[in-house]
Amino acid sequence: MAAKRENGSILQFAPFQSSVDEGFWHRLSSLKLNKFRIDDSPIPITGFYAPCSHSQVSNHLTLVAESLPADEDEQSSVPAIASGNRNRCSVPGILYNTNTLEDFRALDKKSLLKQEAKKIWEDIQSGRAMEDSALLSRFLVISFADLKKWSFHYWFAFPALVLDPPATMVELKAASQWFTLDEAESVSKACNEWRSSNSTAGVPFFLVSIASDSRASIRHLKDWEACQGDGQKLLFGFYDPCHLPSNPGWPLRNLLALICSSWNLKSVDLFCYRESRGFADLGLSLVGKVLLHGSTRDHKDLPNAVGWELNKDRAVPRSITLAKSMDPTRLAISAADLNLKLMRWRALPSLDLDKLASTKCLLLGAGTLGCEVARRLMAWGVRKITLLDNGKVAMSNPLRQSLYTFDDCLNGGKYKALAAVTSLQRIFPAVEAEGVVMAIPMPGHPATSQEVDGVIDDCTRLHNLIDSHDAVFLLTDTRESRWLPSLLCANANKITITAALGFDSFLVMRHGPGPLPNASKADAANALSDEMESLALSNREQQRLGCYFCNDVVQPTDSTSNRTLDQQCTVTRPGLASNASSLAVELCVNMLHHPDGIEQLPFYRTFACVDSELALGILPHQIRGYLFDFSQMKLVGRSFDRCTACSLTVVKEYRERGLEFLLQAINHPTYLADLTGLTELTKSANSFDIDWDDDGDDDGFADI
Amino acid sequence: MNESAWDGTLSASEFSASAQAFAEKWKLNNPAYPPWTWVKSLEVPIFATNQVSLVEEGYLSLENVCIVKSNDDEVASCVEGEASLYDKEDEESTDSATLTSSGNDNVQPYYFDFHIIYSASFRVPVLYFRAYCSDGRSLGLNEIESVLPANSAKVLLESKWTFITQEEHPYLNRPWCKLHPCGSSDWMKLLFQAVEKVDRPAMELYLVSWFSVVGPVIGLGIPIQMLKEP
Repeated sequence: MAAKRENGSILQFAPFQSSVDEGFWHRLSSLKLNKFRIDDSPIPITGFYAPCSHSQVSNHLTLVAESLPADEDEQSSVPAIASGNRNRCSVPGILYNTNTLEDFRALDKKSLLKQEAKKIWEDIQSGRAMEDSALLSRFLVISFADLKKWSFHYWFAFPALVLDPPATMVELKAASQWFTLDEAESVSKACNEWRSSNSTAGVPFFLVSIASDSRASIRHLKDWEACQGDGQKLLFGFYDPCHLPSNPGWPLRNLLALICSSWNLKSVDLFCYRESRGFADLGLSLVGKVLLHGSTRDHKDLPNAVGWELNKDRAVPRSITLAKSMDPTRLAISAADLNLKLMRWRALPSLDLDKLASTKCLLLGAGTLGCEVARRLMAWGVRKITLLDNGKVAMSNPLRQSLYTFDDCLNGGKYKALAAVTSLQRIFPAVEAEGVVMAIPMPGHPATSQEVDGVIDDCTRLHNLIDSHDAVFLLTDTRESRWLPSLLCANANKITITAALGFDSFLVMRHGPGPLPNASKADAANALSDEMESLALSNREQQRLGCYFCNDVVQPTDSTSNRTLDQQCTVTRPGLASNASSLAVELCVNMLHHPDGIEQLPFYRTFACVDSELALGILPHQIRGYLFDFSQMKLVGRSFDRCTACSLTVVKEYRERGLEFLLQAINHPTYLADLTGLTELTKSANSFDIDWDDDGDDDGFADI
Repeated sequence: MNESAWDGTLSASEFSASAQAFAEKWKLNNPAYPPWTWVKSLEVPIFATNQVSLVEEGYLSLENVCIVKSNDDEVASCVEGEASLYDKEDEESTDSATLTSSGNDNVQPYYFDFHIIYSASFRVPVLYFRAYCSDGRSLGLNEIESVLPANSAKVLLESKWTFITQEEHPYLNRPWCKLHPCGSSDWMKLLFQAVEKVDRPAMELYLVSWFSVVGPVIGLGIPIQMLKEP
C-alpha cells in the first residue's frame, strides 16, 4: 500500500530474495564437521547476484559452494572474494552458524542486523563504499545445520538503512519510454560494454552520464564530482534484481542512503538496470525520478535498519532438508536400487525387484555357505535376512567365511549369527538383518532330562522362524542338522534350498513342496469328500519333488561323534562354497519369479525365450557340481514315500503330535526309520537273494 | 569412410571439437536461450580414459534456465517455514518502504541446469541435469518429470531410448539426474544411417544430431537451422 504524500507516493522497494544452492549446504556441512566443529564464530561469506533477466521472475541473492571460504589450512579472516563475472556480481556477507537449534532461536536478530547496518553506514561515511560499491549490499545469514538429520534452518537479512522521512517517487517507467531513441541506443551500448568488461562487470552501482549529443557513458560512483556540469544528464544506476514494472529492487535502498549522506541532493534520477538474454533490456529496465526528504548528512547517527527476509510474508526462518541427497545411507540405497533397475531395464524386464526386496530369507547356518548366500542375496536386493547359528567365530573361519574378520575371533570369538549381522550392516546399512544364536535339535543327539526343556524351546522357535519367513536356506554342516528344518519346511510348504559340500563336490537343490497343503487351505478343502481328498493327496505325492532326505534309506543319526579330527572338520576345496552358494541364491531367485507358487512348481521345465518375459531360466531340482572335472549335473528326484523328513506319514504325525513327536524322533535312535517303514524296507532288502548269473552275460544287473 | 560399420560412438577429442561446434551453432541459431559454456574439468574425472591425450577435458554447461509454471499446477512446495518457532512477528522486518505483496504468487519459477559430459566408458555424450526451486531446493525425479513441458514428458514415456536415472555427477559429486547413455550409440548409428545415409558422419555434427534427439526429452528444442550445414 502506498501512502499518498504531496510529493508523490512513498517509494516501495521489492525485498531481496535468497536462494541457496545445495552445494552451499554440502560445503558448510563438510567445513563444520572437519574444520569448525564447535567453533561458532561468524564466517565471512560471499553472495552472488545478477541483474534481472526474466520479465516474470526476479533474480535472487545466491549462495553457492564457493560462497564459503576456501578450504585452506589457515583460516583467513579476510576472505578472497571471488571476482565478479558478468553472470554474478559478488557481495560480502557474514554467516552466523550456531551449534544448536536453541542457540539459533536465541540469537539477537535485532542486534545482529544493527551490527551489519553499522558496517554499511561506516563504509558510507568513510568513503569505502564509494570505492567498492558492492559493500552497499552487505548481507547477513543466521543458520543452524542439523548434521544428523541433514536439515538446515536459515534466515537471511539484507540490511537496508531507512530513510526518515522515506523517499518518494515522482514517476517510474520503462527506460525505453524515458530515453530518446538515440539515448537509448547509446545507453544500451554503454551498459553492454560495462557488463562485458572484467573490471566493471562486478560493479553493481554506477553513474549513467548522457551528454547533450545523446552519447552515454557509464562511470564509477566516485566520479560523480567529475560528471557535474556540461549540461549532462546524470542518472544513478544499479543492477536491479527485481522484475516488477513499478518497483525497484532492494539494493537501491542503500544507494539512496549513500547519495543522501555524500551529496545533499533533493531529487535523484535513477536507472534500474535489467537484462534479457545477456544484453541490456531497456523495456524491462526502469528509469525514475525520486525525491529525498531530510538530509541524513546532518545526522551522523546510525539510521534504523530493516531487512530480515520474510518467508511467505511471515517473519519466520526457512528450512530445507537434504536427507535424500546427503544422507550416505540413502545414497547407498538409491545406488543399489539403480543397479537393479538397470538390470531390469536393459536385460530382464520381468525382474520383480519389489518381490525380492520383500522376501524374507532365513539362513540356517552362518558358516562358509551362510556368509556367501547372505552376500549374494543382498546383491539381489533382498533386504530381510535372518541368520541362525549357535557357533562362535573360530580363528580359521575368516579365511573361508567371508563375513568375518580377524577381530571377530578375538577373546573367544563373537557369536557367528551376531557378527554376521554386524558385517552385513557394514556393507549395506539398509539391510534388515537379524541374528539368532541357537542350536538346531538333531535326531541321534538325544536330549538329557535337563536339556529337554531347552530342546522343546528350540523346536518351537525354529518352527516359528520358518513360519515367519518366505525362503529357507539349509546351510549347516551335518546331515542330521538338516532333518528338523526339512520337516518344518515341508510342513509349512516354504521355499527350501539346500546346499551341501563334499571335499570337491557340492549339491544344491530345491526341496519340493510338502505332502499336505497348508492348514488354512486344508480347511477350504474340507468341502471335498474324503475320497476326493485322498485322491488329491496321492496325486500330489506322485508329482512332488523330493527333499534332501528323499534319497536316503537310512534315518539321520549322529555323524559327529567317534570321528577323527580330519573327519570332524568339514574339509572342502575353497572354491566350492562360493560356487554352491551362488547357485543356491540364483535358484531361489528363479523360483521367486515363477508365476506359480511353490505348490505348482513344475518338475522340470525349460522356458524357451521366445517371449522374453520369462527369461530368468529353468528350475532344476538338483545341481551337483564336481571340481575334479569342472562339471555340473542337473538331476531330478521324486519324493520318497518313506522319507524321514517330508513323507506324508511324518508330516501327518508332526501335525497331530507336534513336539511330542519331535522329542521322540530326536531321542530314539530308530524311531523315524520304524515310523516311516524304512526299517521294514531295509530288512526286506537284506533278505533278498540276488542270484548272480556267471555266464558272462552283459545282463548282470539285479532287478530290485 | 571406414570399411567396418560405425558403431555410433565418438572419441574424447572428437567430443571436445563437436562441443565447440555445437556451442557456436547454438549461439547463432538459438538466441532465445543463453549460450552453452565450456567448463574445463578441474580434476581427473572418475572414469578417465587411460590413454594419455593432450585434449582439454571439460563439459558443456547451460545453467539457470528458467521455466515458469503457473501455480495452478503446483508441483513442489519449495520452502517449508518454521511457523511454530516464532510466535511474535518481528516488528523490525518491514517498514513503509518495503513492498509486501509482490502480486506475483501465481507463477512458480523452476530453474534447470544442464551439463553435457563425455562418458569414456560408453564413448558417447551424456546429458546431466537438475532442477531446483527459487530458494535453492533441488527437485526430485518425479517432481522434475511433472515440471517438464507436457510434450517432453510424453516423449520420455513413449521412447524406449530415454531413461532418466539419478547418479552422482562425475565432477561435482552430488546427485544429478541423467539420461542414461546405454542406448545412445545405437540410436546415433540409426540416425545417421536413416537420415544422412552415410556410414560415418562428420564428427563435428555429432553433438547437434545427438541433441536433436535428447533435447526434446528435457524440453530443449533446437531450431532446424542448426541441423543444416552452415
